[in-house]
Amino acid sequence: MLFLVVVNWLQVLFNSAVTGSLYLLAAVGLTLTYGLTRFPNFAHAEFMALGAYAGYTIAEQLKLGFPYSFIAAFISSAALGAASYLLVFRPLTHRGATIIHLMVASIGLDFFVRHLIKQVWGGEQLSFRMVWPYFDVGPVRITGLWVALILSAIVMVGVMHIVLTRTRLGKAIRASANNPDLAMASGVDVEKIALVVWIVGAALAGVGGLFRAADTRLVPLIGWEILLPAFAVVILGGIGSFYGALIAAYVIGLAENFGVVFLVMFKLSTDYKFAIAFLILILTLILKPSGFGRLFGEGGKVV
Amino acid sequence: MNSSATTKTTAVLVALIIVVAVVAGVGGYFAGQSAGYDAGYKAGYDKGVMAGGAKAYEKGKSEGYKAGYETGYKEGLKAGKPKGPTLPDKIKIGSLMCLSGFLGPMGQKIKLGVELAVKEINRKGGIAGRPVELIVEDTATDPKTALEAFKKLVEVDGCKVVIGPMASPEVMAIGKYANERKVVVISPTATSPKITTEFPDDYIFRTVGSDALQGKALADTALKKGFTKIATLVLNNPYGIGIEEKAKEVLGDKIVLSIRYDPTKMDFRTELSQIKDAGVEAVIYVGWYEDGQVMFRQALEMGLDNIQWIAAEGVYGEPMFKVADAAEFMKRAVIGTRPIAPTGLITYKLFAESFKKEYGKAPTMYQDTAYDATMLAALAIAYAGQYDGAKIKDALQYVSQYYIGATGHKMFDKNGDQLTQFYEIWKVEKVDGKYKFVGIGRWP
Repeated sequence: MLFLVVVNWLQVLFNSAVTGSLYLLAAVGLTLTYGLTRFPNFAHAEFMALGAYAGYTIAEQLKLGFPYSFIAAFISSAALGAASYLLVFRPLTHRGATIIHLMVASIGLDFFVRHLIKQVWGGEQLSFRMVWPYFDVGPVRITGLWVALILSAIVMVGVMHIVLTRTRLGKAIRASANNPDLAMASGVDVEKIALVVWIVGAALAGVGGLFRAADTRLVPLIGWEILLPAFAVVILGGIGSFYGALIAAYVIGLAENFGVVFLVMFKLSTDYKFAIAFLILILTLILKPSGFGRLFGEGGKVV
Repeated sequence: MNSSATTKTTAVLVALIIVVAVVAGVGGYFAGQSAGYDAGYKAGYDKGVMAGGAKAYEKGKSEGYKAGYETGYKEGLKAGKPKGPTLPDKIKIGSLMCLSGFLGPMGQKIKLGVELAVKEINRKGGIAGRPVELIVEDTATDPKTALEAFKKLVEVDGCKVVIGPMASPEVMAIGKYANERKVVVISPTATSPKITTEFPDDYIFRTVGSDALQGKALADTALKKGFTKIATLVLNNPYGIGIEEKAKEVLGDKIVLSIRYDPTKMDFRTELSQIKDAGVEAVIYVGWYEDGQVMFRQALEMGLDNIQWIAAEGVYGEPMFKVADAAEFMKRAVIGTRPIAPTGLITYKLFAESFKKEYGKAPTMYQDTAYDATMLAALAIAYAGQYDGAKIKDALQYVSQYYIGATGHKMFDKNGDQLTQFYEIWKVEKVDGKYKFVGIGRWP
């Protein structure tokens, strides 16, 4: 038997946009660093966590307000991203580390940073105390936080698009991702480009973590909680593809939220909304193994 | 006072004194001896029966109880010391608590109840002169971790009695292993009816009533308020599903929407949208602290504070107020149920006094059932006279008939469940800028 439910589809659509925007912010750095430095960086989870905790300190402990915590999250995670690349991954690459070495190192770095966070802020659950204004736009309930999250994602996409397509830096990034040897031969400092991508990717993850924390709560595992959907976005979008990730994030956001509606109709636990997202992932990999990324290029990897 | 009333009073008195004396007798079981029984009986009887009038009656009851208990205890211990050669020199009691994870803030508090009981037992000379050693392990509110920690307690420490684990899924996870290894498990907090159906007549006991009762209490509360269109929103685990099923038995087709959610997801907007769109008058909600805070915060944002939420005890407790939005939402829209001891119990007062002396604050939810679970475990070991799981299990069934603890008479039925359980109906108020829980009724 089904539950015959009335569904406010617009609200579900909006909820999907909130979920998707969060996944996008979380996944952009992951996919770009994966594409450029050729390994999945598990420590990306802690870029999110550090941003969240740094933002918490600014907003709640120093009481400076959310805009400042936004900046704090951006800067602190950017610094962590830079440090990770310069102190851990670049030296390892120079010594001929393979993808397995780098991946395991990233897991180790993740543990190190997470426990460092635990030492500084404690393992106990923390919460932002601020109350967000909420209002109804037609049938859709909206809060200030959700609008800020969606706007941040839009602005990020806009800036990234302009940088990637209109600037020398963007061209260099795309060239490095496509063919590092050729890029180097053409005078592109691939390592410098990689550093920039690591910094920007980590900073965006920090912002994503901050939004997740403001929306829910802070625990040291906050980054891990969204690392799994973030990886799903990366793979669905095609590793290294910015535009692929953009589509994939919202596809998974839609799948999860519409999934909830159908699961409830069929009297199933909403636990399975993840399963729906992964079903889409599996189907995409079977039908289009390179993910959505290929939609934007002619065969080659396009950042 | 006419003579028939006097006779009646005396009859009630004698009945009560017998109960008191029996409790005093339980003190004697600590040594497996009946010396305490006589002493306690005498002391209680003398103090109680000689008194007259309501005030003196209460006083006599109280003093008689105390005197009886103390004397019984002392006498029993004295007499019992040379006995019980099969008990080890140090008696280990294990405990599995959610010290971190979803129930972490609750577990940190409940642990105090267990520790208090062990301190009291040791202060009085332990079990037949042998000190009790408490070994606490963290389950992180995770069934897998709970099973690992339980195996550690059983295999490495050799515990035959374990207090906890707290969450129903954790009890479900360790139940089979406990039965295989013949280890007595007494949970002070796990309430799922599934524990009864999955593990009947075995090593799993609990000092809190099954949610077969709380499910009814929640449903009755909804009925009493006249709601005819109700949604359930519960954790997708034995705790949540247990209550959902019991509530459905009572409410039938008044439940128009049922949602089981994953507490780790923390993005509940679409679940909440569904409830909003269903146009229900009330929501029966079962959650834990961490997900409860986020659920209530997002419910406030979605504008769901205009319908009545009726919550189980998983979200009862001060830690809920750490999130401002969640606290405000609870004040506006949430009432709930929680297990509670019968009113005016002297045994509860004694427990509360002892607790306050030890920790400097009044006890809260489930610290009393944890205390009782530990006391029952000690009594059962004493009565069994040896550190053997099967023997302790039988002894536990037996001593529970006579044990009146902080939360009342703790007699187990054949499934190891409580025969009775009372519930308080609570709501949240804001007084002088501070949120607090207030009792507004009782069930049944």
